[in-house]
Amino acid sequence: MATQAGATKIGRRDALRYGAGAAGSLAALWAGGMRPAWADDVALNVLCPLPPDPAPPGAAKFSEDALASWQKANGAKVSYDAVAWPQLHDKMATNFASGTHVWDVVYMSGWVPEFAKFTTPFVDKLPADLVKDLPPSSFSTVTWDGKKSGVVFTLSLLTLFYNTEHFEKAGIKEPPKTWDELKGMAKQLTGGGRYGWVLNYGDPAGIGGVASYWMCFLQQAGGKVYGADGMPAFNSDAGVAALQVMLDLMKDGTDPGSISYVGINDATNVLLAGNASMMMNWPFMWKPAQDPAGSKIVGKLGGALLPAGPAGTASIDGTDAWTITATSKNPDLAQKLIEFYLDPEVQKRQVLDTGWLPIRLSTLSDPDVQKAAPNAAIVLEQAKHPYDSFVTPDYTQVTTAIGTEIQKALQGGQSAKDAIQSASDQVTAIVKKRS
Amino acid sequence: MPRPVGRVGPEGPVRSGLGTLETRRRRIGLAALVPTLLILLLILAYPIVDSLLLSLASVNVAASGFARHFAGLDNYLALAGDRVFRDALWSSAYFTALEVGLVVVLALLVALMLVHPLGRSPIFRIVLIVPWAIAPVANAVLWKWILNANYGVLNAVLVELGVIERNVVWLGTGSRALHALLLVDVWKSVPFIAILFFAGINKIPAMLYRAARLDGANAWQQFWYVTLPSLRPTIAVAVILQTLWALRIFDLIYVLTKGGPAGGTVLLNYLAYRTTFNDLDLGYGAAIANVVFALSFLLALIYVWLLRPGLQHGRA
Amino acid sequence: MRSIVAVGLASFTFLAVAPLLWMLISSVMQQQALTSTPPDFSAGSFTLDNYVKVFSSAAALGRGFLNSFIVALSTTAAALAIGAPAAYALARLSVPGANPILMMILATQMFPGIVIAIPLFIAMSRLGLIDTQLALIIVYLSFNLPIVVWILRGFFLAIPAGLERAAAVDGATMVQVFSLIVLPISIAPLFATAVFAFIESWNEFFFALILTRQSAQTAPLVISQFAGQYQTVFGQMMAAATLAVAPVVALAVVFRNRIMRGFAEGMVKG
Repeated sequence: MATQAGATKIGRRDALRYGAGAAGSLAALWAGGMRPAWADDVALNVLCPLPPDPAPPGAAKFSEDALASWQKANGAKVSYDAVAWPQLHDKMATNFASGTHVWDVVYMSGWVPEFAKFTTPFVDKLPADLVKDLPPSSFSTVTWDGKKSGVVFTLSLLTLFYNTEHFEKAGIKEPPKTWDELKGMAKQLTGGGRYGWVLNYGDPAGIGGVASYWMCFLQQAGGKVYGADGMPAFNSDAGVAALQVMLDLMKDGTDPGSISYVGINDATNVLLAGNASMMMNWPFMWKPAQDPAGSKIVGKLGGALLPAGPAGTASIDGTDAWTITATSKNPDLAQKLIEFYLDPEVQKRQVLDTGWLPIRLSTLSDPDVQKAAPNAAIVLEQAKHPYDSFVTPDYTQVTTAIGTEIQKALQGGQSAKDAIQSASDQVTAIVKKRS
Repeated sequence: MPRPVGRVGPEGPVRSGLGTLETRRRRIGLAALVPTLLILLLILAYPIVDSLLLSLASVNVAASGFARHFAGLDNYLALAGDRVFRDALWSSAYFTALEVGLVVVLALLVALMLVHPLGRSPIFRIVLIVPWAIAPVANAVLWKWILNANYGVLNAVLVELGVIERNVVWLGTGSRALHALLLVDVWKSVPFIAILFFAGINKIPAMLYRAARLDGANAWQQFWYVTLPSLRPTIAVAVILQTLWALRIFDLIYVLTKGGPAGGTVLLNYLAYRTTFNDLDLGYGAAIANVVFALSFLLALIYVWLLRPGLQHGRA
Repeated sequence: MRSIVAVGLASFTFLAVAPLLWMLISSVMQQQALTSTPPDFSAGSFTLDNYVKVFSSAAALGRGFLNSFIVALSTTAAALAIGAPAAYALARLSVPGANPILMMILATQMFPGIVIAIPLFIAMSRLGLIDTQLALIIVYLSFNLPIVVWILRGFFLAIPAGLERAAAVDGATMVQVFSLIVLPISIAPLFATAVFAFIESWNEFFFALILTRQSAQTAPLVISQFAGQYQTVFGQMMAAATLAVAPVVALAVVFRNRIMRGFAEGMVKG
């Protein structure tokens, strides 16, 4: 789609000649329209994050030979628009608003319901043996209005990570299993410039924002964000208790900088530098922790289930999924590409080479995988408990509202009860507006 | 064929009445102006008008995609009752007022120092230009790193100097984060305004200072009675420009705080962005943008009005 | 008085330069050293690794710089070529309705750009211009043209009319007066405006994000890629920022005197 002709002409400094050149290219474009550069191969465009965020073969360095063979076998040419993660949503929103076709396959994280109208529900057309090998609950966040429009490609649940050395030194034998243990240990481990708990509370919205973290605790208390009628159902004891845990932790044992950490990398850095003892994080964290270039805690990281609340343990889903755009001219081929990304061998290389766990249950139980990713077993175990992300079309707006109230409470500006009440009112208004 | 026609002053030909020369001048003038107007109209007028129309509609992406449903003034009415918008308005007003005040005062000080014999060295001019030339995004990334609660050099230095005991979470509360943003933006904005003032001060005839000194004025009185009055039009320019720029702040918020904590750094421009791109509530976002537009336009009108007496002043 | 000024100059220099110095220093330090409290400045912490890593995405970096350069240069050239005559027209050629036109031109500066991104994207994609330098040039032109017109108009107003009068008496046409008399003595503000437009175009981020994909990415987009979601290597981020900032800073420093002189003439008159 880029105009090669236009690009060289623009190099001239002369304004007049530039103008003529520009007019010429414009005319050519008008007349010629947009054509893919290769007449024979079908072009498949993919929008994905930049590594180290979850990226497919070719964008990330794994299974590149396999991708080459796949392209040859299917007469396709795959090209990637790899974008820094925070910019993905803006780019796809702008593109969907214009109605033009740019990408065939698009990565989404919590946005499937939001963009349901712009994607094709293709999951029902996937081969049965593939679907059977995927955890059924992984489809809950990519389904809206009864239509399954995406497939999650990496098992990414929040679990507990902790510094084994700190624990040993403090005489703690096992990671916390309950809320009380969590609070107690966080307090115990704080001191001497270190903190027991760190997390990024700086961004209210989205998967990985403070509202989503609260949703972990909410489910651990047996609560849900929405009731069967689609209205908020979290203004309850469970909702308040969940926030209260975070407040108690904040008072005693949390890195005060947490409220200013906008991205998870800010919090991860604290743990990797040995300045904090525990945090919730995505499975990917295992890899950078073992890299001596950036981590001071190589070999000292331990993983565990998230501590249980009154209703047991629970987590949220990272919902990294592939979707197919409604404007794609080759949806069947795009689906084949996604099936390729979910191929057992590709999935295995995904975890071995990049650290992102596979979603295929068979690959997860592969002994090689279990050895390379010791936290895989923990994540699998966590997946046996609730992990709903409560994704709806206005997920961003809802989490912004809830997250802002939570932040006010974390700063000591209001009580947990008031925060939850206020959040519930705002979410009710948002949901009402949508329907 | 051009004929010698006598005096052609900047206000028009000396002879009254429209001669061929006058019409030709106007035609050429318009011809020279047309490309500019055409470009602006084609490129910006369409999106701006489209945005105005959008603000009179409601868009519900999940329900009906980007289709627009006419909603009259609903968005604007909703704005009036929206607490988040009101907070953003207040925060923006506070931020802008403080920023303009700080920038103007600091820039004036810097300009005065550069005019002083001690400040003549070209080193200071280089130093002045550098913060201005940095890309806003690079600037934001740099300051995010400096203000980091755990590893930021600001905390490290202050703790070393004993000014603070423990690390301060600079972006930890809405209020503190807002002031941190203020400081960063002031840092970046002072150079340009200082250049303005520097140029303005240099234009003041030395004779005025000599006369003041003869009358026995000391340094402070010279400043107050000679420098400041002569700088009035320049200060007016600086105030309005800086106000317009302060209202458009975005990159810093996007990189440093994402509007937090607790919505404390949600300023108007960022709110418009968040509403449009995150919430996909295009109609509402457009309404916010148009409010900012109207405010800026009002301020610009004030500017033009303020500057007119200055025009006469400069002609002498 | 001297001591106050001296202290003032010293603090001013320190405050202006320190953050940038820190950017440079961090860019050559290892992650481990940077995340120690206090930062570890021992000899072993310094490394060029960050720059190596940043350059290893060399393709993107080189392309980003080239695109930024081409876009900024073209925008500047076009803005001057189109804006200078317009500014002269508004200053000298008694165009009817000059003041309202001026206000309208300025008004385009007041709209929060963020929100017109979507209609602009739609327009560009209909024209098939997504991910082209041309799209960015067109958009940046519309952003910079008003300021160029404004500054130059102010300067042209301040030129003593006598020069132009004399040329007219000698039989010069309007166009000749403009190109042979007015332009040559306006080098300073033309230059200053050019640098301003160049810097603005180089540094712009949001529209570059929205309107480009891979081919037409500009330098600020490349830096933003070093702030990923899961990992931040601070040194790499600072290295990328330093690289992206260096050309523009160099430009501003080399031409600092012309800039200061140019603005002296243009801005004060408005």
